[in-house]
Amino acid sequence: MKRVVITGMGVVSPIGTNVQTFYDSLLAAKSGIYKQGFSWGHALVAQVQDDIDSPFPKIKRLSLDRVTQMALLAVRQAADQAQIDFAADNGTTAGIYWGTGMGGAITLESAYRDLLINQVPRLRPVTIVAAMNNAATGQIGIDFGIRGPSYTYSSACSSSAVAIGEGFRAIRFGLVRTAIVGGAEALLTEGVFKAWNSLQTLAKLDADRPETSCRPFAADRSGFVLGEGAAALILEEEESARERGAAILAEVIGYGNTTDASHITQPNAAGQSLAMAQAIAEAALTPEQIHHINAHGTGTKLGDVSETNAIKQIFGSTAHAIPISATKALHGHLMGATGAVEFVAVLEALRTRTVPPTAHLFHPDVDCDLDYIVEGKRQLAILDVVMSNSFGFGGNNVTLIARRYPHP
Amino acid sequence: MTSLKIIQQMLVEEFGLSTGQVDPDALLEELGIDSLATIEFMFLIEDKFKLTMPDEPVVVKTVGDIAQEVDSLVEKKEAQGK
Repeated sequence: MKRVVITGMGVVSPIGTNVQTFYDSLLAAKSGIYKQGFSWGHALVAQVQDDIDSPFPKIKRLSLDRVTQMALLAVRQAADQAQIDFAADNGTTAGIYWGTGMGGAITLESAYRDLLINQVPRLRPVTIVAAMNNAATGQIGIDFGIRGPSYTYSSACSSSAVAIGEGFRAIRFGLVRTAIVGGAEALLTEGVFKAWNSLQTLAKLDADRPETSCRPFAADRSGFVLGEGAAALILEEEESARERGAAILAEVIGYGNTTDASHITQPNAAGQSLAMAQAIAEAALTPEQIHHINAHGTGTKLGDVSETNAIKQIFGSTAHAIPISATKALHGHLMGATGAVEFVAVLEALRTRTVPPTAHLFHPDVDCDLDYIVEGKRQLAILDVVMSNSFGFGGNNVTLIARRYPHP
Repeated sequence: MTSLKIIQQMLVEEFGLSTGQVDPDALLEELGIDSLATIEFMFLIEDKFKLTMPDEPVVVKTVGDIAQEVDSLVEKKEAQGK
């Protein structure tokens, strides 16, 4: 089996539209959550504030939903860093493994609004190609000349973590030599927001400090904040990355993927811990060899307790010794993109040997009693193996593990 | 081609092209306007000129072709109105 390394990464997020700014914001506990005004009212969201239009000619933007623009920008960053030319072998040995929860949600809702409210006689001809869930996947293929396999994964909040895991496996098993992996989400529309709101999983607004409204693992947590963004990574066979002299950022060594088979929304600690166990087994490690976890940590009442218990089930007496970050408190819940964004966060933790805090944890919860790094960013003397959890509605649980390269 | 100037202005505004690019003989494909973008543009023209394009696809290859098509439809519409 092949070893799989990372040679490039890119991020478009509410707290920075490049990896450096994104991670600096996490370490500084800078929140991207605001009470934002929309044409339909105010909502607590984590929106990408930077301009994502001007990098695309107006004519190209016609058929691009916001989700695809963010996807392409993240992939561009990753490909630039990797300094890779996919066309070198006609693009046939490269694949795309991309995740999104709701694809071109903005285009779709705008079309429904035009049709049902504005009563326009017909819809824009690009509606389908901009809204379909594999729009970003297809556009990535066009822009980067990828002619190998392409897959679009949609498993709610674990979508892009699945995409990374499956891309990792495809290289590991020799199906492709390189892979563009990651995910994007842009669903801050009236319909989507109100649908989530009805589900009673969204954080209540702290009127005095809106930016602190999402509080994972805290006693006063009330849910998550919907966000948008994208993250991309370039994965390569170790051998081919070395042959072309690429700078290797880290190695992907483990992936777990399980299904709860219990409830469509309620988390299940058994399913979550099994995903972690699978990833640790594939990495040929023992739990105490994991040095840092980026938790799924959405800030919901049930979810955070379930994940805490799942971690305890796997790590046993060492669970309290692992520094755990829940970065959704700062960048919001980027849904289908969140797994990839948080995987970039753990890779940056490896590089900087510094882990970000779980922000806004002012009031500890007795049921969530692990080391969530509440005091602010923390430098770790030993930080060589990192884990990221992503759990999705539908009961899909994904764990990814990466290791410093070369392995110490 | 009475509609040419308006068409050219619309191409500049909608597609971010320069005025120098939208010569009547300019091929749409070479301007980066593919079949999807052409349909999108024809829909905008319908709104602008209050026209209805025929059901069968309109074959337009150049900027001038669009203007000729629009002129012809405007003429037909005016004739019907008389």
